[in-house]
Formats: sequence, C-alpha cells, structure tokens
Amino acid sequence: MKNDYLFSSYHQLPNTWDEMYTNKALIRAQYETINSYLKSVSQNELFKKQELSKQLFMSQGVTFTVYNDKDNEGIEKIFPFDIVPRIITAPEWDIIDKGIQQRIKALNLFIKDIYHDQFIIKDGIIPAELIYSCPNFLREMVGVNVPHDIYVHISGVDLIRNNDGAFYVLEDNLRTPSGVSYMLENREISKRIFPGILPKSNIRGVSNFPNLLYKKLEELSDVSHPNIVLLTPGIYNSAYYEHTTLARLMGIELVEGRDLLVKDHVVFMKTTNGLKRVDIIYRRIDDDFLDPLEFNANSTLGVAGIMAAYRKGNVNIVNAPGTGIADDKAIYIYVPDMIEYYLNETPILKNIETYQMGKPEEFKHVEEHIKDMVIKKTDGSGGYGMLMGHEATDEEIKNYLNEVKQKPHGFIAQPILRLSTAPCCINGQLTPRCVDLRPFALAGKNGIDITPGGLTRVALKKGSLVVNSSQGGGSKDTWIIK
Amino acid sequence: MLSRVANNLIWLERYMERGNGILSLLKVNYYANQDSSELFSWTPIIKNYTSHDNEFTTEDAITCIEFMVLNTNNPNSIVNIVTNARENARSVQDHISRELWLCINNYYLYLTKPGNSKKLKEEDPILFLDNLKAFHLMYYGNMDNTQERGSSYYFLNIGRYLERVILISDFTSMKLLKIAQTSDVLEQSFYWKNLLLSIGAYRLYIKTHKSMFEKELIIKMIFQDQLFPRSIYYCITKISRHINKLVESDELEKTNLDYLLGKLESTIKYSTIESINTIGFENFIKDIKEDINDISFRINSVNYSQVNN
Repeated sequence: MKNDYLFSSYHQLPNTWDEMYTNKALIRAQYETINSYLKSVSQNELFKKQELSKQLFMSQGVTFTVYNDKDNEGIEKIFPFDIVPRIITAPEWDIIDKGIQQRIKALNLFIKDIYHDQFIIKDGIIPAELIYSCPNFLREMVGVNVPHDIYVHISGVDLIRNNDGAFYVLEDNLRTPSGVSYMLENREISKRIFPGILPKSNIRGVSNFPNLLYKKLEELSDVSHPNIVLLTPGIYNSAYYEHTTLARLMGIELVEGRDLLVKDHVVFMKTTNGLKRVDIIYRRIDDDFLDPLEFNANSTLGVAGIMAAYRKGNVNIVNAPGTGIADDKAIYIYVPDMIEYYLNETPILKNIETYQMGKPEEFKHVEEHIKDMVIKKTDGSGGYGMLMGHEATDEEIKNYLNEVKQKPHGFIAQPILRLSTAPCCINGQLTPRCVDLRPFALAGKNGIDITPGGLTRVALKKGSLVVNSSQGGGSKDTWIIK
Repeated sequence: MLSRVANNLIWLERYMERGNGILSLLKVNYYANQDSSELFSWTPIIKNYTSHDNEFTTEDAITCIEFMVLNTNNPNSIVNIVTNARENARSVQDHISRELWLCINNYYLYLTKPGNSKKLKEEDPILFLDNLKAFHLMYYGNMDNTQERGSSYYFLNIGRYLERVILISDFTSMKLLKIAQTSDVLEQSFYWKNLLLSIGAYRLYIKTHKSMFEKELIIKMIFQDQLFPRSIYYCITKISRHINKLVESDELEKTNLDYLLGKLESTIKYSTIESINTIGFENFIKDIKEDINDISFRINSVNYSQVNN
C-alpha cells in the first residue's frame, strides 16, 4: 500500500525555511524514517490514527477549558494535535541547548543584579527608567537573597527558525511557563500511533523531565525530606491539567491557596490531622496573585503572608517572585548585552531585531515600514493586542499608532518573521504550517538542564503566524535525534 | 492528607454512590410502572431528588428518565452527579488510581456526548440504564482492584457508606408513604417487594425467607442484616471501621465521632420490631437520618477544624 495522496500537494511557502524539505524539494535526512512510514500507511489508517490521538487526549482528560464571556460556562477542549512529528537534528539541538543555557545563566545573573547592586544600570548598559517603569519589577524583592542565587528554575524559551535556517529567541518565558505536560503527553501519543518508529529514528527521551524537576526542587532545601507542593489557582485554570499531571508524576501534593496558611512566618498546609509545614512551593500562579497582603489585595488564589515567610527564608518559592522583570518585551532587547556584560561571551542564539517605539528615530523607521512590522505591547502575552502590519487596514494602523503615541515606551516593534514551516496532516494531505519551539530548561545549583524536546506549537490556520493555543494554534511532538 | 482532598474524596464517592442508587431506582420503577402505573408513579421520585422549588413533573416514563438522567437543570440528574464526581476526581488525581480516574472521565465523556437523548427515546430504556450502570460496576471493581488501601481509600469508603445510608433511608421513606395510604395487604406487599428490588435485596430475601413479604423480616434485612452490603447496619459498621483506620494511621484525631457511630450502631442493632413500632417506623428512619447527618457534618468539621488554628 502506498499513500501518494498524502504527499500530493505540498506547496512550500516562498522565502521560508521548511523543516522537512530543502529548498530543492528534497527530503531532509532526519525525516526519512517517518516519511517512509507515512507512505506505507493508507489514507484510512491515517485518519484512524488522528482519531485515536484525539480520543487518547479526551479520555485521559488532557483538556483545557475555554470560558465564554456571555454565559460564563466553560467548554472543555483538547489542544489540537498534529500527528506528524517535528524533527530536529543533533547539531541543531546542540546550538539550542548551549544557547538557552547561556541565556538563562545571564538572565539569572541579571535578575540578581537588578534586585541587589544594579551594576548593569550603573555601568550604563540598561537605562534605570526602563527597569523602574516596568510593571514586572517587584520592589518587594529588592535586597532579598534567594537560595543559590537562582531565580528562574523553570523556563520555556520560545524559539523560531527564520528563513536563514537559524533559531532566534522570540521571548524568554521566565514566570510560570506552561506546556511541558504537552511535551510529555504528545510523546506518549506518538508511541501509540507510530509503533516502533521512535527507536528506529534514534529519538531522545523526554519522560525524565518530572524526575529532574523534582530533583532540582529538592536540592533547594537544606531539609532532608522537604515537603514540596505545587500551588495551582484551581480547576478553572486553563493549565489545570498540567498542574495535576506534574504533581502526580512528581508524587507531590497539589495545593490551592486555601489549603495553605502562614503562621509565625512559616507556611503550613491544612491536613486532616493538623498543620504540616511546607518547605518548597512550585507555584503556578502569577506574582500579582501570590500574596494579597503585598500584591493584588483581592486575590483569593494566593496566601496571605507568604512573601514575608519567603523573605525570612522559611519557604522557597519557585520561580522566584519578580522574574518577570527579565522577560518583559522591552528588557528583551538587552539580553544580548547582558550575555556580553555578565558572561563576556557572544550570544549563541540571536534575538529578533526589535525597535523601541519610545525612541523617535526607531518609531519613524517602524512607521515607514509598517507593512513589514508587528507591534506588540511590552507587557502583553498570549498573542493579544498586537498589530500585524501586513494584514491590518490603513484605518487599523492609524488607530494603533495613535494608541502607541499615548505611551510609546509600552510598545516594541519587530519585523514580521518568516516562521519556518513543518508538514501537518490536514484533510489527509501533508500541508506546510508555521511552527515555533518551546524547549524547557531547568536551573538548579548544579547547572542548567534542557530536556531534549519541547513543545512545537503550530499555527493550524492557513497563512497564520499565530501559534497561541488561545488563537487556533495546535501542537506537535518534537523529536530530537541522538 | 490535605483537608480539602479528604473532603473531595468523600464527595467524589458520595456522588458516584448516589448515581448508582438513582439508576437502580429508575430501573426498578420502570419495570413496576409497566405493570401498574397507578401504584408506581414517577412523581415521588422526581420530588425526592429535585430541589424544593422544582416545578417539573411528568408521568411519562421516558420523559422522567430523561429528566432524571440527562437534564442539566436537575441538580441530581445523573449527568450533573457524574460531572460533580469528575470535578472532585480531577482535583484529587494524585490520590486516586489512574484507572479510577480514567473510568470516571470516560463515564463523564459518555454521558456528555450528544445523542444520548435520542438513544433513550429510540432504544430500550432498560438497556440505556444498564449501560450507565455498567460504568458504576466498573468503577466499583476498579476501586477494589487498583486503589491502594490507605487514607484515600478510607475517605472514599466513608463517602460511599454515608451516601448509601441516606439512599436506603430515602427509598424506604418513599415507600412508607405509599404503604400508609392503603390497607390492602396485597398492595402493601407490592410496595415492600419493590423496595427490596430497588435496594438490591430481593434475591437474598427470597432465598432467605421465600416469597413472603413480611414487614418485620424486611426491616430486619434492610436495617439490621450484618452481612448484606446494602443494609443500614452494615454501612454504619463500615463507616466506623474506616474512621478507626484513619485514627489508627494518624490521619484523623480521635474525637467523639466514634461515640456517635457506636451509639447509632447499637440503636440499630438492638432495636426490635416492637421498639420500632412504639416510636413509629417513620420516626425510626428520621432519627437515623438525623444521626447520619450529624455524623456527616462532624466529618466535614473534622476536616476543617484545623483551619483557624
């Protein structure tokens, strides 16, 4: 049986890197095994495999809830999964691995510096007003010492591959990055739908992530068997599935804010037999909601007094509060400078050229090239509130630029990128769709480990560059060759 | 164990037990209603399992089953009960076996899939109810075989037997109302038989006492039998046993719960048909319900008593 239909209409996008085909329409070596397998599978079997993957996600409850503003009733959805894996070679991964290590190392040093001596400001590398005007700068963290000087324990750096074939950093997610459960779950699904192909293709495993995370968390405490908990906002959070999965795979307690209390600057959890001390909190709630006494007073998700306990060193919070200062879109511009300043190294992974709208000459440049630009809010995320110059009307551009003029420092612009494409199985045919890559890095006292894999997000809508799950994105399993 | 987790485990199991009980009731009443609809009407069932302000009522079997199983506005419809069970299960996934979670989640997916209403109307309603009951049987089997014995298991069991006592007392009260309305001995015997069927005690009763429906023997079986898993006495001893297990394993502080349970256990065990008749059967059941509510309330407050420390 030969499934020729599958390969019958793969139209590469112009001026775009394709993960599977070279620009001479030859299949890249890393895709050969999976390709010959796909060719041997009939159309019908392929549909069955797609259906099986959906069912597996549903029956295991790998879902997220989307809330409708009108009736506030949630609809459970699965994050669309494309069965064709995205494959990265060993040399390519080597660059990513070293590049992310370097970046996270520098970013950790930066956060420590910003909350202590601020050498980087004093030496004139980063302007002070940029730091102090950033909403993610937490005055509550100034002068606070954190164990082993690690602020960012878990990060998910978003990478894209440009048409030159090189990986660029789109953003460093240093607060509470999500998606790692999909890295794990997607792999489990691949094992089911491509029996025997993973070992044949020499793919590195990802299943060690929870053990590694647990080890990194445990190392942070001086206690021999620290009580580690995962703090979730609760079942209504869109990443709740991930919270339960990680807690289950690590064997730690999944707690909500109301399960914890602070007494004499020590954090306890409320158990059926009294209070039990908590040593380390892997929190999946944002800084703003962490402690109603210090941040958002209306938050019922956090724990009153937890920041005071943290500052006393009685509990460890992971990632540290205040890391948002380093993944702000305006600060992003300075990461290459940080790498040179703190490490005296040349950045391995490039930044995307970024214009600060607060600088008049850069504003002018953006305005002149608006059709090739995307403008973003420095404190935005999730793909909301952006202007994509090539698809906006003149009216929309005018209105947006007016908004920018009100508060130019709150915006940055980047040239519209050529995200690389990868083959997706859509209606029984392989079709190129834009992808990005989010590998997950774990920093501990013995160094930084990046699990060989990650979350490949894909813009399933034709021609779309937006990979966010909230806006029609899906995901793929990511295979790294040994 | 976290107090919230303990509470969610209890409620997970209470919902599952309630779902199973209501399905049995519907199935038994459907059969009986086919025989004599005037004796086995649907209204008391709807009344017992909806909120006090419910205005919906029907005497059409399929419409009633649809309301009791699939209607999302009915808080005790099977679909709502299973949704609640699943919400509780979802938040305690790290405390129950993987198999148990998959079982509940698949039940939920089955119930929320479109087309169930059509299936009920076009196919055999008994088959429809049996298909749902099969999930409960699978759940019981899964729990027995995959859930490790420990605090989660004990809390789950407390939930199960608490709910079971409430179900049995409710089923009995519903039938007593009907029995009180007639002096026809034959008609009364239909109600007693029906009660045995909905509790799942019919086969055992026939085997033990042959086809003679005597009030005294029925009460003995439903309330006092020591080996029948759906007798009130059996359930109370189970609750007691699991509370003690929790105290032994240092998960619960010793409180006056065991006193309350012990008292209820003896009251049931040493009641005679004469003593029950003296206070009245309705009052006897009412007292049990009050005691069990008190126990349930205290279990909740044990779970939360530490909050303000």
